[in-house]
Order: sequence, then structure tokens, then C-alpha cells
Amino acid sequence: MKDSKTVTFSGSVSRRTLMVGAAAGAATLAMPKVLRAADKPTLVTSIRSLSNPYHAVWKTGAEAYAKWAGLEHVTLVSEGNSEKGIADIKAMLAKTNGNMVLNSDPNDTPDARPIVEACAKAGAYVVTQWNKPADLHPKDFNPNYVSHIEFDGISSGKTIAEILFKTIGGKGGIVALGGLISTTAAIERKKGLDAALAANPDIKLLDFQVANWKSTEAFDLMGNLLTRFGDDIKGIWAANDDMGSGALEALRAENLAGKVPIVGVDGIKTAVDAVRTGEFACTVTSDPFWQGGMGLAIGYNAKTGKFDPTKEPPEHREFYGKAVLISHDNVEEYYKTNVESKPEIDWNDLWGRVTGAIRA
Amino acid sequence: MTIDTEPLKSVSDIERTTLMTLLPGRIATMLGGRRWRSLAPLAVLIVLCVLIAVANPNFIEVRNLVRLANSAAVPLTLAMGLTFIILMGSIDLSVEGTLSVAAMVVVLLAANDSNGNDFGWWAVLAAVAAGTVMGLISGLVQTMLRIPSFMATLGMWFIGLGLSVYMLGGSAIRLNDASIRDLALHRFLGLPLAVWVALGAFALAAVIQYHTRLGRHILAIGGHEDVTKLSGVNVTRVRIAAFALAGFFFGIAGVLAAAQLGQSHAVIGDGRLFAAVTAVVVGGTALTGGEGGVVNTAVGVLIVTVLANGMILLGISPYIQQTVQGLMIIAAVALSLDRVRLKIVK
Repeated sequence: MKDSKTVTFSGSVSRRTLMVGAAAGAATLAMPKVLRAADKPTLVTSIRSLSNPYHAVWKTGAEAYAKWAGLEHVTLVSEGNSEKGIADIKAMLAKTNGNMVLNSDPNDTPDARPIVEACAKAGAYVVTQWNKPADLHPKDFNPNYVSHIEFDGISSGKTIAEILFKTIGGKGGIVALGGLISTTAAIERKKGLDAALAANPDIKLLDFQVANWKSTEAFDLMGNLLTRFGDDIKGIWAANDDMGSGALEALRAENLAGKVPIVGVDGIKTAVDAVRTGEFACTVTSDPFWQGGMGLAIGYNAKTGKFDPTKEPPEHREFYGKAVLISHDNVEEYYKTNVESKPEIDWNDLWGRVTGAIRA
Repeated sequence: MTIDTEPLKSVSDIERTTLMTLLPGRIATMLGGRRWRSLAPLAVLIVLCVLIAVANPNFIEVRNLVRLANSAAVPLTLAMGLTFIILMGSIDLSVEGTLSVAAMVVVLLAANDSNGNDFGWWAVLAAVAAGTVMGLISGLVQTMLRIPSFMATLGMWFIGLGLSVYMLGGSAIRLNDASIRDLALHRFLGLPLAVWVALGAFALAAVIQYHTRLGRHILAIGGHEDVTKLSGVNVTRVRIAAFALAGFFFGIAGVLAAAQLGQSHAVIGDGRLFAAVTAVVVGGTALTGGEGGVVNTAVGVLIVTVLANGMILLGISPYIQQTVQGLMIIAAVALSLDRVRLKIVK
């Protein structure tokens, strides 16, 4: 008796669940109609996730540009799933009938090709950032693949290392926290560190460890490194700010915050605050706000014929952007213009931050 | 208390195994070997400590032991909650989601750099309550909608994560409440307060498991759910209570994590699920349920923490650390569970 009751009960609930699910599905289907109404191209941002500060700022930049240009803007999030990232873009291409401009940070290097091919086929204009296979070039997909933007990881890793060395007086031991081993950014930034170390023989790299870009892992790792090297650690090089901030909290638990300088990459708010208090020596940022907005601006200007991609020089098609260094000297100004208020960027200055063509 | 491992677990009543299938296990137990097995994780821990201490005497420095305790605090608290779920033969995948919700709640309600709230320790209470509610929902979804715990808690994981992402706006928010940060920064008898909280959580979990009806019912469900039900135990209620209890521990862990890192972002829980499950299993609690307990888990947490600490002290290259970790996990589990008694290995 009891059993049959349970079965009935579970059945009725799943029917209700089905109804709710169907209603939600119908509501979702109704949404794209609003988007279709626009004659102007739709701006589309495709990023990995909104749960990291970097991409959250990227989206703010994209929205700022869309507002400035008076255009519809949609953000697609792949949640680290390449298939989802590509499928969402294809769905948007179908919805907009190719009348769109895409600014994509492909989840993984191989993803760039299907994304670019789909856009070229549908007649949409696309700008990619950070990840693309070495043999995929904008000039092979004229005019739809407008540009590819990267930031020179070697130079970032080297710049922060040099500032760290200067801060600790040019000699002593440091420890380094690297990112996820297989990623290009982690490899390049470490190369930069190695280059700086080679030029400064008085600096000793006590240990290089991997904290997978995460503050939580860096926190535990730093405690262990303190045990192993103790006071020999004069400075900490972190391949990103999140790991740097984890290391900083490990230092704080031992009353060492501010005594052992840290450097990182990304320019997240925690790091900027730490540069202000002197706990970080510096951080360097690719400026995700600029990346989010300018990627769309370059694509939109190509689409509307403001410039012809086929006639642009190679260093406008595949280039390194200019990274912004935030150190003790300029942190107050940076804080005022970028953290307390939204940054003011001249969206007409498309090529102002080009530092050169990407190394083959 | 002798309860047998029954690898075929099911939430439904369809599955009925006879008492006869329990007999071989019981005979094996009587022939001995069981007692030794249960001490295996502890032996692994001691051997590990001795080996590392010989290779690098810094390991047994007081400062390092304090650091070890500090990095074990969050995993220990998490694993306490998870142990009850695994003891039932279920799994709770919502660890990271619940932890990030609790960390988000405490940071947003206490003094922070994003809004004007400053509720002090009420924020901590709210965070633990939020964790408990998340667990309660997992339990209700599992029992009322009859969805396997694997799927129910997978759903809660993403719901929790999504909620944190939304509330935190994707960025990292700083925790400025000095008294909450003191959980990580202030020391009592040489140990950070977070460690004392984790020890408290351990004591509470031990009392619940060994001295309350709920604890015994959880173990009984893991041993054999059908028999437990026929014995008059309200299995549904015990399941819901166990999930709420797990959520309570995850909530505490979330507060500790936020206090240690001085900030909260949605991915604050990244990697914690795997670490917690590893600790529980390495400690000798069977994933099939009904065997092990919170004391085992405490040993498991220490093994995992000591291993991570030791690999840095021994200067093992980061490129092969994961390999070593994998080998150790397999070795520890192989030693601690009596494989012969398993009828099926899935």
C-alpha cells in the first residue's frame, strides 16, 4: 500500500516538473525573437566564464563599447567547454543570419578554426584573442577574420621579474608559482622569468611550483614553501595575480605580509589594492576592459567598411597588444581611473595599442 | 558493530538482496584480518611522516606542523560532512557549490569592499545556515523526487556555483571584517583559530557518528538499506538529515576558506571536491557505504595533506607530483579495504 502511494506521488511530481520545464523552455525560445528585430549587426562576446574577475571585466568593456556604439550586445559563456562554446556561436550565427560581429576568446587553441570557418561561411566578422593554432591566419579568411590579438607572455613574465629583483635589491632567493602546465600563457610567462634570471645571476630561484592559476592552491603551496626555505625567500613571482594573492594570504598568516614582495600578472582588483599597500611590488595587465571593447570595435569597423581588412598591414591582423604595468609609481592614478570609475577608452583609436606582429 | 559492504546500492525498493548474500562477508570478518585492515591508513600516515622527516628534518619543526594543521583545516571540515554521505553509500558532489555559497554569503554580509553590509558574526551564522539549507534541498530532492544523490547533488553543485557567480558579479570580493579574518590570523595556544574550529567540527562529527541514533542509522543505511527500512528506521528522514548535516559542515568550511583567503570568489571551492573524496576514501571509508567513519576520514585528510606538504619539502618536481599523488591514493586504498570481500568491483 505504502509502496503504491510512493509511486503515484513520484509520478505526479515528475509530471509537474515536466510542465515547469516546458514552460521554461518555451520562454527561452521566445527570447531570440527580440534579437532578430535588429537591422544593425549584433555584437557577440564569447568568453570562458563569468566566475573569474578577468572575464567579468572583459564583459564590462564589451558592454561599454556596445552602449557607446548604440548596438545590441550578447555574451556567450562556454564554461570551459569547447563544444558548447562553438555550438553557441553557431546558434548565434543562425539567429542573426550572419549579421553579427564576434569577439572571441576561444576556450582552447584548436577551437579558433571552427569558429572562424563558421563565421566566414555565414558572412560574420570575427576577432579572436589569446588562442589560435599557429597555422590559422586572418589573411586566409578575408575579409571576415579581421584580427587576432595576443599579449606577449614572455615580456610580461620578464617585466615583473625584473621589478621583483629590483625591489629585493638585486640579490637573494625567490620562489615562483606557475600556472597550469600545458597552457601557452604559463609556458611563455615562465620563459620570461627564466630570461630575467639568466640576466641576474645573483638572484637564486629556490623553487618553481605549479598552483594551476588558483589562489587556494597557492595558499597551501606557499605555506609548504615557507617550511622548506623559511627566511631565504626574499620575493615571490606569480604567473597570475590570483595565485599571488593566495601566496599573500599565506604570508599574512605568518606575519610576513608586506615583508616579502610579490609580483603577478592580470591586474585584478585584489592585486591593485595590494600594490597600493606595498604588499605586491607590481602587476601587469592586458586590460580586459580594452580587450572586451576593442575586439568588438575592430570587427564592427571592418564590417561597416570604416577600413578594409585586406588592405591593413600584417601587424594589424595579428598583433601583440600593449600591456599596462601597475607598480608603486602609477598605482594611485590607475586606481582612480580604472577601479573607482570605469576606464575611458577612445574606441576610435583601433590600432593605438599595437606593439608589433606576433612572433611566428 | 559489524556491517557488511554491499556494493549494489539503490535508492529504490526494487532491488532486494537476501540475507544469504551477507554471510560470506561475515565469515571472512570472523576469521580475522579486519582489525589490522582498519589500522592500515594510520600505518600509511606514520610511515609517510617518518620517511619525510628523515629526508627533511624541517618537516617536524613546530612551525611546519602548525602549517600542516592550518592547511588541513578546510579539507577536514569538508570531509567530515562528506563522510556521512559516503557512509550511506551515496555521494555528495555539491561540495564546491555549497562551499562557494557559504563563502559568498559570509563575505557579502560581513564588512567587505563591495557593499555597505557589516553584520559581523551574524554573517557567519547566515553562511552556515545557507550551507545547511543547500544540503537540506539536496536531501529533499533526492528522497522526494527520487533522484539518485549523484545527479541531485551535481545539480546543487551548479546551482550553488551559479548563485555565487551571480551574487559576486564574477569578481573577487574582499572580506574586511577583522574578527572573522581572525579565524585565520589569530592564534590560540599556537594554533590558528581555524584549526580549533576544524577540531571542533571533528569532535562534533565523532559524537554524531558514535553516540547518536542518527549516526548509527546512517551507518545502517550504508550497510543495508532494505534491512534498515524493515527494522523500522525512517530512511527518508535519516537521508534528509544526513544531507543537511553535510551541508552544515560545508558551510563551516566555506566560512573558514573565506577567512583564510581574505576574499571570496565563485571558484573558491575549485578542486575541493576531489580532495575531500580522496581523503575520505584513502582513510578507509568505502564508497559503497557502511564501512569506515569520521576517525578514518581524519586520518585520510592528514595523509593527503602530509603528502602535499612532503612533496614540496622533498623538492619533487611539480611535473610529476600528480603522478606520485595518484600512486599513493591507489596504494592507500588497496591497503585499507579488504578487496576479497567485495563481490563486485565497478
